[in-house]
Amino acid sequence: MLASILAQVPWQAPSIDYHAIAPEIVLAAGIVLIILVDLFVGESKKWVTASLTGFVLLGALIPVLTLAVSDPDARSLFDGRYVIDEYALTLKALFLIAGYVVVLLSQNHVEEGDYYQGEYYTLLLTSLTGMVMMASSRDLVSIFVALEFLSIPAYMLAAWRKRDRKSNEAGVKYYLLGVFASAVMLYGMSLLYGVTGSTLLSEIGRQITVDGDFGGVHALAIVFVVVGFAFKVSAVPFHTWAPDTYEGAPTPVTAFLSVASKAAGFVALVTILYVGVPQAKDVWQPFLWVLAALTMTVGNLLALRQSNIVRMLAYSSISQGGFILMPLAVAGTGDAAGPALQAVVVYLLVYAAMNLGMFAVVIAAARTTRSGEISSFGGLFSYAPGLGVLMTIFLASLAGIPPLGGWIAKFAAFRAVLEAGNGWAYGIAVIGAVNSVIAFGYYGNVMREVWMKPAPNGETRAVATPTSLVAALTITGAATLLLGVLPGTVLRFGDLADLVGAFGR
Amino acid sequence: MELVVFVIAAAMVIVGALGVILRPNPVHAALSLVLTLFGVAVHFVALEAHFLAAVQVIVYAGAIVVLFLFVIMLLGVDRTEDISIEPFKVQRPMALVVGVGVIGLVTAAVSSSRDAIGRGNGLEIPTVTGDNDSNVRQIARSVFGDYVVAFELTSVLLVVAVVGTVMLTRRIKTGKGES
Amino acid sequence: MVRLLALDPVAIGDLLWTPLLIIILKVVAIFAIGLLVTMFMVWFERKAIAGMQNRIGPNKAGPWGLLQTLADGIKLFFKEDLLPDRADRFVFKLAPYLAFVPAFLVWSVIPLGGDFSDGKNGIVTWFGEQTRVQLADPPVGILLVLALSSIAVYGIMLAGWSSGSKYPLLGSVRASAQMVSYEAALGLSIATVLLLAGTLSTSGIVANQDGFTNWHVVSTGVVPFIIFLLAATAELNRPPFDLVEAEQELVGGFNTEYSSIRFGLFFLAEFMNTVTMSGIIVTLFWGGPQGLFDIPIIPGAIEGTIWFIAKVLLFLYVYVWFRATLPRFRYDQLMDLGWKILIPMSLGWFMLMAALRLGRDQDWNQAVVAIVSAAVLIVCAGLISMAMKVSRANREREGATF
Repeated sequence: MLASILAQVPWQAPSIDYHAIAPEIVLAAGIVLIILVDLFVGESKKWVTASLTGFVLLGALIPVLTLAVSDPDARSLFDGRYVIDEYALTLKALFLIAGYVVVLLSQNHVEEGDYYQGEYYTLLLTSLTGMVMMASSRDLVSIFVALEFLSIPAYMLAAWRKRDRKSNEAGVKYYLLGVFASAVMLYGMSLLYGVTGSTLLSEIGRQITVDGDFGGVHALAIVFVVVGFAFKVSAVPFHTWAPDTYEGAPTPVTAFLSVASKAAGFVALVTILYVGVPQAKDVWQPFLWVLAALTMTVGNLLALRQSNIVRMLAYSSISQGGFILMPLAVAGTGDAAGPALQAVVVYLLVYAAMNLGMFAVVIAAARTTRSGEISSFGGLFSYAPGLGVLMTIFLASLAGIPPLGGWIAKFAAFRAVLEAGNGWAYGIAVIGAVNSVIAFGYYGNVMREVWMKPAPNGETRAVATPTSLVAALTITGAATLLLGVLPGTVLRFGDLADLVGAFGR
Repeated sequence: MELVVFVIAAAMVIVGALGVILRPNPVHAALSLVLTLFGVAVHFVALEAHFLAAVQVIVYAGAIVVLFLFVIMLLGVDRTEDISIEPFKVQRPMALVVGVGVIGLVTAAVSSSRDAIGRGNGLEIPTVTGDNDSNVRQIARSVFGDYVVAFELTSVLLVVAVVGTVMLTRRIKTGKGES
Repeated sequence: MVRLLALDPVAIGDLLWTPLLIIILKVVAIFAIGLLVTMFMVWFERKAIAGMQNRIGPNKAGPWGLLQTLADGIKLFFKEDLLPDRADRFVFKLAPYLAFVPAFLVWSVIPLGGDFSDGKNGIVTWFGEQTRVQLADPPVGILLVLALSSIAVYGIMLAGWSSGSKYPLLGSVRASAQMVSYEAALGLSIATVLLLAGTLSTSGIVANQDGFTNWHVVSTGVVPFIIFLLAATAELNRPPFDLVEAEQELVGGFNTEYSSIRFGLFFLAEFMNTVTMSGIIVTLFWGGPQGLFDIPIIPGAIEGTIWFIAKVLLFLYVYVWFRATLPRFRYDQLMDLGWKILIPMSLGWFMLMAALRLGRDQDWNQAVVAIVSAAVLIVCAGLISMAMKVSRANREREGATF
């Protein structure tokens, strides 16, 4: 039927709202531009590619801003396959700014590490393009393409320190498990397509209802898709790649993976759960509940035992992922859908700021200490007071101490959980609360090193922090503080009315 | 006849897939993969997706597995691996349990919701008679219509994949080095 | 079920005895013709090269030595069949068939004749049934050719590997790299043809070429044809691209360890591939069975076959000519030609044709479209050549530091 109709209708190019996809166009053009420029600049001028990448990211931010203030509330392309609404724009901005900070973090590291610079920034930019695309995707095909787009360059970036066995291990582990996760997810997606006949999430949402047709295949498909994303957001028990990858990869890449890549995974998960299969909450709620509880607990307990700061941050980032999953685990119950969505978005924003900041401090400090051991940060405050104070702020924020950003994020998450108000919700809230306390253990441990311990080896030279790192620290530090002091600014972003309205239900 | 084709093709796919994981020699495993890919192509033909079938053979069997074999031969890792050695004792029994579990789960899921599959969801097998190129036309309309953004960006992804691969295989830069 | 078989108009409708007979007849005919033509090709090549080298060539078996190939074949049959000790037995036995079968199958989709004049689509009537002078006309005909030619790589690759010997392995590694590389250029130059023909079926492509100016060699502007000819020669592993079996370096290449009938199959496959590739070139670019003018007396359907044979002979001669006159490429030259010249060129030409086509559909000024496209292509070519220069400089520098 379809084919015979198609054969008669003359081909019509789809009408494309170029303003709506301008950020992606800018980024794609930027990728090509950087490849070209990298070809023609001499070895000593390769830093140009870093600056260009920064400009491309800021350039992509301009259409995001103009779209935010422009007339229609939500633009929908290709029958709602690609949607630009407030949710998408907020996250696009998040990804672009996070990417900018990562470029700032990378600049000196990559240049001094004597890596291939042009290619590094090309891959970084590609990964970001995938994330920006992910924020708008409302269709299984776009989501999958976006996911590969952000993952494939990340696999290679993780293995960027070619001489280092650990980096190779990081790349290979990340790649193999990532591809495996993609395969599982793709299987789930194809099952979803098979039972609903559409790749469009809103159409799938219409098809999947709890009554009548809902059967085992539907449930299995949803579980497979969630498992795939659980790998991407390194939720326990699908987290095994994360610590090794985070430790082996170059530190700026680790920052990028733990923030942007994870956020993109959550974005896709949220989109699929909220738009695609909200009716099947009896399938994904218990599953996510278990994932969230395990992720928080296991991540925290393992973080307690780490002596390497990057490994500790890796496990801490796993457990923070659990906190982001927590509101989703009850998102289908009662009135929790709105606050849960808000909590996830807010948590992602805050987490990006504070975790990137944390990595910035680690990178800056490691320029002197040349070590990733937690003990090497001993006495940091005495010889680098600025870094010491900033590190304290980020650690406190990660631990969730008011009045910093992390506190607001945790507050929003708990509020969303309590909104659901049933036994499951209280259960996960208690687990979350216990874990928040445990987290003080390892965050506090680093703080103690910074403030109380003497510097190892009597190393007390002042840390010379390059301008780009200072800029990164300023951005993330200001964001962490501001989000905590003025929570209204960020809570507004996650306003349910805008988001669910835009999700087209 | 359709059933016969299906059974033969399905047998090809499954035997090939088992071969990939069970044959100790990497070249044999790669050849088993070819068998699987052919089986899938036959399924495509049976579903009248001629274009997909041809592309499946050209791209997967013709290019990708050939490159697998190329790398296997070039690196000289074509010796039979001793797969009885096992670094992680629990690994294989666990993989078996999980694998059987997943198969059981899928089978149970499919048989439990047999009615729901392929009914009332707008999926219809298009007719081919008369128009030889309906296959291609349909794919072109999807790819350049609804999915055009994803499709075009995939080309960028391919470029970047090449860039990254070249970089990873390039000689390590000599110079200052890093600590 | 019937739809599965609908590759030939004769099979549409109720399955009766006559159509079935016609199909069986066609299968047998194709098989027999394939073998005969290959025999002829072997003789033709030896005779023609002998002529060019001022020798006599085969002249003992049969008139003008025509039966020489048959004699060789019989000899091969009765030779001892050797199986090397270190060979991978199963793959070693499988490889010749992997090389031979695709070579045969390609024949089935080439229109060997038929009346294409006045938009008759090449359908002929035999015993009251409508059919084509080609075994099958699948909707993806030309892709089937590409698919089969990519399968043929396996035969050569596995033959070399399974021999368990050094030189054959080198030969097969060379072969796979070469064939995969040139397949890209091959496919891209076919894309230009498909752009004009608007169909993938081989008979549709032939039907599109009525009249000399519509022959794709003219209407696509010669360049795709030249690229296709070069890439096809490389696909066939024929001189000057025969590094796979470079005798001076690799003894005999991938088939060194083969003997008896297994060797015979490789030998046959190679020559059959040459013939089929000529057939494909004729189909794609030279109008297939479409004639330049009407031959008097002979009926239209047979006339097509005559034209087809004449054109194929021309290309067979070209291949022999290549072999007799051109020295072999070096391996880096081969890769350079494939990746740095043929692929960018075919891609660029494809874009140019697409732009002109778009311009025509949208009623743009063709001259402007042509100039703009040419300018874009020149810029791209400049960038590519600069990129090559930079990468060469980089390579040299990196090499120097070691």
